[in-house]
Amino acid sequence: MNAAYTPLEPGTEASLRDIGSADILVGIPSYNNAATVGHVVRAVAAGLAKYFPQERAVLVNSDGGSHDDTSRIVARTAVDYQQLLIADRQSVLHRIVTPYRGIPGKGSAFRTIFEIARRLRAKACAVVDADVRSISPEWIEMLLRPVLDEGYDYVAPFYLRHKYDGTITNSLAYPLTRALYGQRIRQPIGGEFGFSGGLAAHYVEQQVWDSEVARFGIDIWMTTEAVANGARVCQSFLGAKIHDPKDPSSDLSAMLRQVVGSLFASMERHADAWSHIEESSPVPLFGFPYEVGVEPVRVDVNAMVSHFRQGLRDLRPIWSRILGTTTLEELSDLNRDESDCRLPDDVWSRIVFDAASAYHHRILPHEHLLKSLTPLYLGRTAFFVLASQGLTSAEAEQMIEHLCVVFERQKPYLVARWEAAQHRPVDRPSMSLTVPDAGGCDDRIY
Amino acid sequence: MIEFIDQALMAPLEILGGHIAGILPNILAMSVLLLGGLVVAWSSGHFAERLLHILRFDHLCNRVGMTTMLLRAGIKTDPSRVVGSGLYWTAVLITAIAALSALNLAPINEVAHSLLAYLPHLITAGVILSAGYVCSNFASQAVLIAAVNAGLPPARLIAACSRWGLQLLAAAMALEQLGIAQHIVVVGFGITWGGLVLTAAIAFGLGATDLAKDFLERRVMRTRSTPDDLRHW
Repeated sequence: MNAAYTPLEPGTEASLRDIGSADILVGIPSYNNAATVGHVVRAVAAGLAKYFPQERAVLVNSDGGSHDDTSRIVARTAVDYQQLLIADRQSVLHRIVTPYRGIPGKGSAFRTIFEIARRLRAKACAVVDADVRSISPEWIEMLLRPVLDEGYDYVAPFYLRHKYDGTITNSLAYPLTRALYGQRIRQPIGGEFGFSGGLAAHYVEQQVWDSEVARFGIDIWMTTEAVANGARVCQSFLGAKIHDPKDPSSDLSAMLRQVVGSLFASMERHADAWSHIEESSPVPLFGFPYEVGVEPVRVDVNAMVSHFRQGLRDLRPIWSRILGTTTLEELSDLNRDESDCRLPDDVWSRIVFDAASAYHHRILPHEHLLKSLTPLYLGRTAFFVLASQGLTSAEAEQMIEHLCVVFERQKPYLVARWEAAQHRPVDRPSMSLTVPDAGGCDDRIY
Repeated sequence: MIEFIDQALMAPLEILGGHIAGILPNILAMSVLLLGGLVVAWSSGHFAERLLHILRFDHLCNRVGMTTMLLRAGIKTDPSRVVGSGLYWTAVLITAIAALSALNLAPINEVAHSLLAYLPHLITAGVILSAGYVCSNFASQAVLIAAVNAGLPPARLIAACSRWGLQLLAAAMALEQLGIAQHIVVVGFGITWGGLVLTAAIAFGLGATDLAKDFLERRVMRTRSTPDDLRHW
């Protein structure tokens, strides 16, 4: 990458010269979020005024060329501080509304935000999604305070979510990052993060902006990059996370590819950091956890089962190159009947580990490998939904905890396959998988 | 008697000796060319194999499905060895042609020149076939995964069609390169391909009306509603 390359527009450069420096920066990546971005801007402005009245703050909107009024709304949204009982706002909130350069995607938007943070020498930064409806001014404090006052480098969010909300997080991102890096970060791809100016500078210096990181892979990349480089990490309780209704045209396969591709690519970069870690430890959690009702989520299990069954039927030659012989045989044995959809924790963990080592050994073109995992992921999601029907959120959380324990126990299997001279089918590890009972979530009930 | 010996025996021997003396440099040149060519052929084949091994060519072939293709063809050696052997035998062939040319015999020269002129076409056809095979495997794999992820029931059929279509195209191009029935190949390919497309269109439109309807509805209606509101992360 050319060292002189800057992802910033000339107008943004001029704004930076005018502002000079800042203590705090809050970034909002956006694309056609006119319906929700006004609320997010108000929450950010109120949070900064209420909790950080003395600090010089900048709000950056990095936009992907919205066709609606997103940018105009960000620039013009006013906050009635009197209504919020905020009287001591002492510094002006600067706003930078800029389009980003590079590959269209959330990661490229973040890159612009990181670059602006570096130029302004910000001490603490936060990023929040433009489509989140449940954001409050307190989120800004919870994301920034640990960095400013406690010396943390990275603040991950901790939300209350419906048991079927965030299934990539629950079935893949959380168990895998926890098993790899030994830190129990519950929402590694949450979307809202706090981080130090130093970490922002580190992010922007990495040469990953032509990869999946430039798209939806950015969230998991930020988390893994922080933990793998020894940053001080904590979590902040933010309450419920309620999004704008999801984009129906969004392609799950592409999103899964970007997130998992970013995760696997980080594994390659940081193999030395994770290969020797054997167990996980809790990550400090700030805030005041409370129970709250979350929006119900409708799930079409039959469609997911149908996708999984078709994958089992049609993608077998491809899966046989990715998965270990025993894993594939076990998967087939578990799903002999046409209506079966069984991917218990130990099989699922080996599938993920097999896929990671196949990615590492370049058994298939990366794009093919990652996309071929979609039916497996849908099968696992359907299995989880069916197994957790009727369970409370706490009980479903215990199932996820059980999955994480299985991932940690199976890690030697991953290390063995990863370090093998070449990827080849191997037998199931002979170690005993006596996982502690996690609230009645023994594999037998599946 | 002496005269008889001179005229009847020595004269033909002298003529034969003259012929042999005339052709001897050519035979010597042929031997040198043959020997040198064989050494070059062996060393180039050997070094090519070693170099490809170092560059992990076998691993690459395994990824693109070339190793499987060789196994199907009954060739159980590594692809790098196959390339090395191919290079060796190509060099041997060129050496043989060059060695025969050194004899400077008109009929042999003509055969040698025509063989040499045809060699580039043979190599090009081989490259086209190999590239076609690799591309067809890659494309059919991508099509299969995309079709399964899109939930299309005939995913394997679509993938197989894409594979055979590309391999047919490569075969037609290779045959054209070899100069074998050029027009028949092109016309035959056009008729076959056109027929396949027409058959598929009719079959899809008439035989799979519901599937076509479902597919179009999903494409058109996808922006309006989805059966669930599961958010995956």
